[in-house]
Amino acid sequence: MALSPVALLPSLAFACTPAMEGDGVRTIEGQRHVVSWRAPAPLPLAQFFAIDVAACARDGSRIGLLRVDATMPEHGHGMNYRPTVESLGDGRFRAGGLLLHMPGRWQLSFAVGGETLRAALLVD
Amino acid sequence: MPRRTPGPAVVIALAAATLLLATAVPRPTRASEAPLEFTEQERRQILSLGPWPPPFAPDPSNRASGQPAAIELGARLFVDPRLSPTGAVACVTCHQPDRHWTDARARARGLVDLPRNTPALANLRLQRWYGWGGGADSLWLASLRPLLDAREFGSSPATIARIYRLDADLACRYRRAFGESPTTQIEQPVDVMVNTAKALAAFQETLTTGRTPFDEFRDALARGDAAAAARYPRRAQQGLKLFIGRGSCIACHNGPNFSNGEFADIGIPHFIVPGQVDAGRYEDLQRLRASPYSQLGRHSDDAQRTDAQAMRLAVLEPRHWGEFKVPSLRNVAVTAPYMHNGSLPALRDVMLHYSTLDESRIHASAQPLLRPLRLAPQDIDALLAFLESLTDAAGAVRPRPAAEGDCDAAAAAAPSG
Repeated sequence: MALSPVALLPSLAFACTPAMEGDGVRTIEGQRHVVSWRAPAPLPLAQFFAIDVAACARDGSRIGLLRVDATMPEHGHGMNYRPTVESLGDGRFRAGGLLLHMPGRWQLSFAVGGETLRAALLVD
Repeated sequence: MPRRTPGPAVVIALAAATLLLATAVPRPTRASEAPLEFTEQERRQILSLGPWPPPFAPDPSNRASGQPAAIELGARLFVDPRLSPTGAVACVTCHQPDRHWTDARARARGLVDLPRNTPALANLRLQRWYGWGGGADSLWLASLRPLLDAREFGSSPATIARIYRLDADLACRYRRAFGESPTTQIEQPVDVMVNTAKALAAFQETLTTGRTPFDEFRDALARGDAAAAARYPRRAQQGLKLFIGRGSCIACHNGPNFSNGEFADIGIPHFIVPGQVDAGRYEDLQRLRASPYSQLGRHSDDAQRTDAQAMRLAVLEPRHWGEFKVPSLRNVAVTAPYMHNGSLPALRDVMLHYSTLDESRIHASAQPLLRPLRLAPQDIDALLAFLESLTDAAGAVRPRPAAEGDCDAAAAAAPSG
C-alpha cells in the first residue's frame, strides 16, 4: 500500500507493532493506527470464515474496540452478514461471520479509533 | 385407517420412472476432438465447481437428520395428505418424484394458486437458506412453513398430532424415530408438529443427485487426465468457458452445488398481479425473524446454535427488496420452468433473458455486473450443452428405499440411533 509523505510522518514519529506474526500476516499502516490480520488461504467463497486481527495505536493508547466489514466497491454492495468481533485482549481480535458471496475484488475494512483502514482482497 | 395415498414404495417406483426419464434427457455422448485450452485461472474456477458428491453432514439443529427411522417416517409423511385438514394436499402434490421433485407448473398450487414456482428438492443439506426468499433457515422449518400456511396445507399442530392418534402404525414409527410417543405428547402438539417436520426434512436430505458428465470432466482436469477430459463434448466446454468467463454466471452460481446460497435481483418482474408485488428476500427475512421456529428458537436441537450463524448475522437492507435465491444448477435442464415465478418456460428462454435483459428493471443498488450478454445463437447452444451436462445421468434423484411392513411396537420403545 502506497503512503503519502504526509502519512509517513506520524508513522516515523510514533511507530507501533501489532501483536501478530507468522505466515500469511498482512499489515496496513494508517495515520494513527496499524492493523495486522491473517485470513485463511485460499479465501473460501460463499462460506463463513474468520480472521485474526491485531491493532495498535501510534499514540500508545489502548485499543478496546474494532469493527470489521467487507464490500465489493465495483458492484456497490457489501456482505449479506454483519461480522462479529471478539476482543482477545492486548489489541488482538477474532472477527467471525465473514462471507464473501461472489468471486472478484473485495475490500476489507477495519474501523478503529475513528480511523478506517482498508485492504484489498481477491477471491477466485 | 386405510391409506388414501401412495406409500413410500410408490414414491420409490416413481423415482425409478424418473431414472428412465433422466436417461431420455439429451446428454453429451460424442467424444470431442480435443479439450479446449483453459488458463490457470479458468482451471481454478472449474475445479472450484467440485468435487461431487460432497460428504453428508447431519443437520445439528435436527436430531432426526441422517437417522434411518426418521427417514422412513418422513418418506411416509411426505405422501400423506392427512397433514392437510382437507386431505387435499400432501408434500408430494407439488414435489413429485417423477418430475424431479417439482411439479412442472409455472407457479405452485396448494389449497389455492400460489405466487412462486415449486423448487426442486435435491442436495438440500448444502443450502443455508430455503425457499425463494430464504424464508426458512433450516430444512425442517422449510417443511413446517407450508404446513401452517393457510394457502398451502392450512394445517395446525392439532391436525398433525391427530394423525398419530388415528394411525397406530404411524405413531409407532414416530416413537421409533424420536423415542417418545406422539400420543403421550398430547399436551405438546407443537412439538409433535415440529418433529413431524424434522422427519420430513430427514427424508428430503436423502434426495441427492449423482455424478454428471461435467463432474467427470472436472475430475479429469484435476488429475491431468487429458484423454478422459477429451470425452467431454467440445460444445459443453465452450459453454463452460462462457459460464466462468464472459457470462460471469459463476459470480452467483459457484461452488460444487452451483449456487452461492444467497440472493440476487436479475430483472425478473416483481409483480404477482397488477398492484401486488413479491418483495422476495426483503419480506421473507422479516417474516423469518418473527418466527418462533427459526434456529434461534427453542425448537433447534443444536444447543450451541452453530448452524444459526447465518440467521443471527443476516442483514436486511433495501437492496434485498426483490432479490430471490440463487438456485443450484444441478439437474437444471430437467426442472423447467424457471425463475421464482416460473415465468420462463425453457432453459433457452433463460439464456435469452440474460442475453437481452433490461437493466432498468434491476433496482439501483443491484449488482451492475449484470449486463445484457448479447449472446450469439452458438453461444446459447454452448451454454445449453454445458447446463445439460449438469444432469445426473444415472437417475437424477433417488430416495433411500424405505422398509415396508408394520412397525414393531416393542422395538419402537427405544429410539433408533
